[in-house]
Amino acid sequence: MSLNPAYPPVRRTPENAPMLDAWQQRGEILLQRCDSCGAHLFYPRAVCPSCWAETTGWVPACGTGRIVSFSVVHKGLPDVFMAEAPILLAEIELAEGVLMIARVLCADPGRVTSGMAVAALPLAEARAFPLPTFRLEGAG
Amino acid sequence: MRSETVGLIGYGSSVYEKTATRSEQGYMALAARAALDSAGLSPRDIDGISVSSTTLPPDNAVTLAEHFGLSPRWTSMGNAGGAGSVINVMDAVQAVESGRASCVLCLAGAAQDTEFFKDRINRFNRSVADYLAPHGFGGMNGLFGIIMRKHMETYGTRRESLGRISVDQRANAGQNDNALLRKPMTLEEYLNAPLIADPIRLFDCVLPCAGAEALIVAPLDRAQPGKGVRVVAAAERHNHPVGEVSPLRGGWETFREGFYDEAGFGPEDVQFIQAYDDYPIMVAVQIEDLGFCPKGEIGGFLDAHSLRWDGDLPLNTGGGQLSCGQTGGGGGMIGITEAVRQLRGEGGGRQVPGARRGLVSGYGMVGYGHGLSASAMMLEAVA
Repeated sequence: MSLNPAYPPVRRTPENAPMLDAWQQRGEILLQRCDSCGAHLFYPRAVCPSCWAETTGWVPACGTGRIVSFSVVHKGLPDVFMAEAPILLAEIELAEGVLMIARVLCADPGRVTSGMAVAALPLAEARAFPLPTFRLEGAG
Repeated sequence: MRSETVGLIGYGSSVYEKTATRSEQGYMALAARAALDSAGLSPRDIDGISVSSTTLPPDNAVTLAEHFGLSPRWTSMGNAGGAGSVINVMDAVQAVESGRASCVLCLAGAAQDTEFFKDRINRFNRSVADYLAPHGFGGMNGLFGIIMRKHMETYGTRRESLGRISVDQRANAGQNDNALLRKPMTLEEYLNAPLIADPIRLFDCVLPCAGAEALIVAPLDRAQPGKGVRVVAAAERHNHPVGEVSPLRGGWETFREGFYDEAGFGPEDVQFIQAYDDYPIMVAVQIEDLGFCPKGEIGGFLDAHSLRWDGDLPLNTGGGQLSCGQTGGGGGMIGITEAVRQLRGEGGGRQVPGARRGLVSGYGMVGYGHGLSASAMMLEAVA
């Protein structure tokens, strides 16, 4: 699979390019980590929002996390997503403690509950999506 | 921030329409004319303009002056979405107090419809465009579905309780000819409405529409007799809590204590609340965090009160955005204009008996997961 060109593009910036490339090329969630205070960051920033250090490095996340809360979006989506509705949109806490909003692919959203474990999509599927995307742990 | 000498002396609303038949400037001109009429002033009296409108750019407060043929000596444009109009009024009061202006026209509104909004929401700001829209996030509905579920699972809040907000506001809209949605709603209809972004259903959502609101800020001694409204407390807070994505608070709790100290009275002494109602869940959070009930106890609180204009805790007495429609940034001003209307005793068929003091709160500028801006203003009729 390759990136679905119908998805809204992510504007590529000096801050987010390594993260976008890691996801597209390796199916890896690359997190910024502050060189000064060690905080993990998402989304990518120009300065560390914890300590304002301007130098940050990158570390690969282990790719697992849990659903903190979620919604199941049925309506009001652009056409490309309407064809895939319902979309499961979740607040996810990665194992590293970082919070992000991401999509969780799931054939049966009715069985999803908060607290469930999720894992990043394997590379072959990841490539279709512009940003880190998940599935339920053990799915696939 | 409070002022003894400068306040609100005029207010006005344009017609609200599901499909825009005018530009932003057209709706704002209608609201401005009504506000000037209510103040007994003419356009030549205006020497300051402020505006909050997420759809107005690339135009702004200065280009509005050009459009309207005005030559102001002070302008300001809000950047806090639905929290912006409260802040615009704060800034306008201080501009008049400091002498930089003597009569400020505050505007908010949009010329939009549902389809326009669905497209624009994907470009609301950079973090939304770059890190939410590529997921198919469902606009604000998807984000507030996450927050609503979290509140329900954290505190046991039930949809039956939250639905009272939509149902009672719809009853209020029944007394407001300007509201786009006036058909009475039952709690059953709220509970069984079509799913939009589970747990959010249709009547948790606002109808994006076209329209505008306007206010006149000037020295209170220029108000027509008995028609001045004083700002006795006001505050804003942004990006709180830092680092959270889907928080169950928005910043009101950070300034609540000082806010009521400044006003000299507390939530028990207001006759109504005009809260920012993009979703009932956020109205619930505002009621909690502005101290009307302890955190997490909103469900029982809503069950125990009537939110109708003639109830024991009148809320969004004109129907709010949930029933009038959401005119973009105008959603942040509709609560102020309705508060001024009520405090002047001009509420007509929805006049809150004995309305002397009212609380308005704002919320907006959704970023990565939630609204980044919170504001509140306490208003009091000039005796």
